[in-house]
Amino acid sequence: MNGARLSLAIVPAGLPLAAALALAPAVGQPAALGLVGALGAIAVALYAAALAMPWPGALPWAVGLLGVEYLASLEVRAAPLDLGAPAYAAGLLLCAELGWLGLEARRGGRAWLGRAVAIGTLSLAAVALGALLLLAWTIPLPGGPTLTGLGVLAAIAAAACLAWLGRR
Amino acid sequence: MPGGGVDAAGRLTADWITTVSGRLSAYLSLGGAGLLAGLLLARPEPVILAAALLLAAAAGLALAREPDLDVTVRLDRDRALEGEDVELEVTITARSPVAWLDVEVSLPAGLVERRSSTEPAGALAAGSARTYRRRLECRRWGGRLVGDVRLRARDPLGLFTYREDERHLLPLRVYPRPESVRRLLRPAETQAFAGNEVSRLKGDGIEFADIRPFVPGDRVHRVNWRASARRGELHVNEMRPERNSDVVLFLDTFTDLPDPSSTSLEMTVRAAAALIDGYLRRRDRVGLVGFGGTLRWLRPAMGERQLYRLVDALIDTQVVLSYAWKGLDVIPRRTLPPKSLVVAFTPLLDDRTLGALIDLRGRGYDLSVVELSPLAFVRPGGREAERLAFRLWSMEREALRGRFLAMGVPVVTWRRGEPLEPVLAAAGRFRRDARLVRT
Repeated sequence: MNGARLSLAIVPAGLPLAAALALAPAVGQPAALGLVGALGAIAVALYAAALAMPWPGALPWAVGLLGVEYLASLEVRAAPLDLGAPAYAAGLLLCAELGWLGLEARRGGRAWLGRAVAIGTLSLAAVALGALLLLAWTIPLPGGPTLTGLGVLAAIAAAACLAWLGRR
Repeated sequence: MPGGGVDAAGRLTADWITTVSGRLSAYLSLGGAGLLAGLLLARPEPVILAAALLLAAAAGLALAREPDLDVTVRLDRDRALEGEDVELEVTITARSPVAWLDVEVSLPAGLVERRSSTEPAGALAAGSARTYRRRLECRRWGGRLVGDVRLRARDPLGLFTYREDERHLLPLRVYPRPESVRRLLRPAETQAFAGNEVSRLKGDGIEFADIRPFVPGDRVHRVNWRASARRGELHVNEMRPERNSDVVLFLDTFTDLPDPSSTSLEMTVRAAAALIDGYLRRRDRVGLVGFGGTLRWLRPAMGERQLYRLVDALIDTQVVLSYAWKGLDVIPRRTLPPKSLVVAFTPLLDDRTLGALIDLRGRGYDLSVVELSPLAFVRPGGREAERLAFRLWSMEREALRGRFLAMGVPVVTWRRGEPLEPVLAAAGRFRRDARLVRT
């Protein structure tokens, strides 16, 4: 399969993943099916529209709505800590990346191996980071102003890092 | 940021233009919203979702590097004939690794790629080089600048796109394929230098002209003994010397009649190239006047160097729109030597050209006009009024030709697709048969 065909094959590849991500929170929850299902359906419809039209502006909204749907399902059923969150986060990232790859393919862009490898690596790293965050959540730490202050400092440092990377 | 300048080698360079993908802002926004949601909901899941997206943004920012490339462009030759192929070679050397690089060569008009070769875009490791070869067909004569290379690179995650136009412009001169012409127009007058044209004057030469009675001072070897014996007194042969002539090609560049297959200017240049070659081979002095929006001229001269100067001048011929009135007075005097043969190639459409040609004839120049018939480039309309207008216009043109003929100027029509030689032969016949009218 040459590069152009591969690129065109990528266009719809994210759609099944988006559908799976939309279905996953709703499965086995008849109580929350209405709200969660509606959010998921809108998200998948937006995702499909973004790829089909193509409409790049809709893709972040679709990804955001998938995340909102997932969080809504957790809140509605007052679920305890979800151990599947890192996998869902990696899936969400993969879904977003496939969506953008599809949009680029629609505009004549070509996929290249290095980028596929980078996306795969990034998804694995997202799982690892999510697991690390889950682990950090489970560590019992006494709250207080010191911890809150550290959190604020960490947030500022993260924003500064991103700003520095962006300006470099 | 767009910008650019000139590097140490004098080449035009441009800076990379960086475009940021919408993904970056989307990931940062969604990541920020996720962190906020984590705080509000006091749950780790929104933070985990946000972390994945922020990780992608951070990795993309960390891995993004502006490409550092060295581009060299080479043409296998800088001169070619119309219809020939030239090979363009673009070599890209990466000083730092590039995740994805696409190279596109923008070709000037008149050059087309023989086979559409689409080398796959891809990664380039630091220190490695990639060479793109394009076989180009020179479709149309003219001076071209080749080497406008468009580079497009991306970072490993595709968050940034870098674009740059490298302009390593190499000159390529495409010479016109001349029309096939064996017999040229013979000038009415010759010049003082030796050449291949038999002069109408008498003098030292090998072509017999006449017999006259001997006068003291005549050389003995000129005595025609047979005629002397028959007439009872000495007679000598008179000869015609072989001289060269001055030929000026007058190209009307006020108007170009376009057509999908060719234009009147293309026909003019091909014909002029043929005549230049033919007359210079006969040791004639050939000059050129490009009479149009911009006036171009070359004084008559002979030899190989003049051939290249004339052809180089020809391939730069183009139509420049101008409304300024121009007459013969703008042409330097030495460009039009006395007794020169002026061969004009014109569609006879612009009043300035008509005025100049009539003026030339009025000054006694030996003028011949090759009319590049505009009728071949124009279709009469479908309506009655349009057809009538076309007929009127055709009659006006006929009257104009008659005006030139009355002045003793042959006007021969050269239509697209016809060979030039019969056209020149027709002009030659007119010049031979017609009585020269001095105005």
